[in-house]
Amino acid sequence: MVRVLNFFCVGFMGLAILALYHVSEATRVARVELDRTTRQIADTNGQISVLQTEWERVAGPARIQELAQQQLGMSDTTSVHLSSFDQLPRRGEAAPLGDTPLHNASAVVPSGAAPSATNPGPTSNLGPSSNLGM
Amino acid sequence: MGEIQRRIVIGAGLCIVAFALVGVRLVDVTLMRGHGGPGFEGHAVLARADLTDRNGELLARDLPVKDLYARPHVFWDKGQAAHNLAAATGTDEKRLNAGMANTKHPYVLVARQLTPEQQDRVMHLGLPGLEFEPSAKRYYPDGRAAAQLLGVTDADNNGVSGLEMGLEPQLHAHAGGQVATSIDMRVQYILAHETEAARETFSARAAGGIVMDVNSGEVLAMISVPDFDPNERKLQGGDSTRNVMAQDVYELGSVFKIFSFALAFEDNTMHLDEIFRIGQGLQIGKFTIHEAEHMPATLAARDILAQSSNIGTAQIAMRSGGVRQRAFLDNLGLLGSPRTELPETAHPLYPKSWGTIETATVGFGQGISVSPLSFVASAASVVNGGRRITPTFIKQAPGADNRGPQLIKPETSAQMRDLLRYVVTNGTGKKADVAGYDIGGKTGSAQVPGPGGHYIPHALRTSFAAFFPVHDPRYVVFVLLDQPHGTKETGGFALAGYTAAPLAGKVISRIAPLLGVPNNAPPVTLARGNS
Repeated sequence: MVRVLNFFCVGFMGLAILALYHVSEATRVARVELDRTTRQIADTNGQISVLQTEWERVAGPARIQELAQQQLGMSDTTSVHLSSFDQLPRRGEAAPLGDTPLHNASAVVPSGAAPSATNPGPTSNLGPSSNLGM
Repeated sequence: MGEIQRRIVIGAGLCIVAFALVGVRLVDVTLMRGHGGPGFEGHAVLARADLTDRNGELLARDLPVKDLYARPHVFWDKGQAAHNLAAATGTDEKRLNAGMANTKHPYVLVARQLTPEQQDRVMHLGLPGLEFEPSAKRYYPDGRAAAQLLGVTDADNNGVSGLEMGLEPQLHAHAGGQVATSIDMRVQYILAHETEAARETFSARAAGGIVMDVNSGEVLAMISVPDFDPNERKLQGGDSTRNVMAQDVYELGSVFKIFSFALAFEDNTMHLDEIFRIGQGLQIGKFTIHEAEHMPATLAARDILAQSSNIGTAQIAMRSGGVRQRAFLDNLGLLGSPRTELPETAHPLYPKSWGTIETATVGFGQGISVSPLSFVASAASVVNGGRRITPTFIKQAPGADNRGPQLIKPETSAQMRDLLRYVVTNGTGKKADVAGYDIGGKTGSAQVPGPGGHYIPHALRTSFAAFFPVHDPRYVVFVLLDQPHGTKETGGFALAGYTAAPLAGKVISRIAPLLGVPNNAPPVTLARGNS
């Protein structure tokens, strides 16, 4: 009886050693993998951080203005008060401006809002995407 | 039980204990530590938080870079290694040679904050004994636009100027996160752009500007030119790291008349329609006060401010007296240094002996020097209902009212708002007016003291303090030009009404729509179908 018990115990110990080794090895491999992934995440986070910063730089207003002036021939214009919220149509209501499409309108700049020296002139045609200055 | 059996039982017991230990360890390793070990937190934490503007736009961030260290004892030829490393990294070869000759230290710092290109060049050297240590470099995406305000860090990433230094505890406490400032980068850019343009137009030596919320004290923008590139360690010709709006004190001239009139309203020593004799000069003892421009023989009090008469303002200031004037300015905070998050600060200069002539000259802004930031805070108190406001560079809750104790009566504040509007509609500030925004303000054209203490002939420091919308003020815009020159367009005049006032108007016309200030001008004519 004791011999069987001893045999069983030794066998169980052997199996336990194998299992422990297997778990230990799997853990080591997983840790290596984890370290690699962590480094990858850190690198990627670093790259994202750099890209975000680069985006902030290239999308900065100074650069956008410079490009708009150089490539598109745009320039600063005086803000023109075209409309107010009161004149915007509510849902289901007729437009207070009637059927006059704003994108077909042009603004006559009043003398009080004289354009800057770089402006094209006293009358500026507004494209379809013009904002309603408030 | 025999001896043998007893030994077997003891042996079996030990085996069972050993198995139990192994079993416990197995459970511990496989179940208890299966998820989330210490390795998950191995990712390096950045040392400083990002700085952002009030809308979340990035202003400053730590970028990952590498520092390069070398172990000199592994090099066969230390001199050649030093030469190659110096060529690859741009570092000083003599310093490297000295470091490698020093046997006390096993490591030598070769270079800090290497760029990827420099790292590539170092790797191509194929030298042993090199180690790249992760580090961080502070980067400012907007470059010069807010250079003095944000400040810079040193090579160890410690703040050494500007908000980088002033907000150091917060930046370390929130490392890896963000610290939101009160700055609005849109407003900052517009102020920078217009100020630089005006500086060029009028060939001014320096220029600056501040935009502040008069109720929360939040500084939305602060500009000082000449500026510098915070991403470069070396200054280029003409660059300056000095923040003239916070670090320097100036005799601001006639913008100071705001306080003389506020004091007169407080003390009830004049009424707006009262006529004052101006004449050719005001004799006080051995001194004679003159006007900067030709003035009529008499002026009503309201026109004294509108036309910026020194003689008229001096008479009004003297009615309250020097003791009262000094106490009033002190109460407004003009005789002390403003306490803000900015480490750059300046102490005002004012007369030790505050006699009659000093009362007269301080009344129109000469003989007292304050920093523009200090002036802006005090001027905001005059128009915001008369309550103390402390400038802050930290984002506050939307609509925050941080106004402190009452400094002047609300009625005085209301009278001053009307009067400042009158200056813009009928006085020297006409060129600051923008249709629909009800701007109030005051010009200032101060003489500039030279190295010997005497004023430089024909040299002016012009400024304009604007408040809008003036009857329910939300923002103060202050601009300053140091020694501008007149142009053909201004008829050769360099006074504030020709230089600083139009600059303030341009800034307001661009920032008001962004800040949601309603334009009360009637909409312009819409013509049908003539696109």
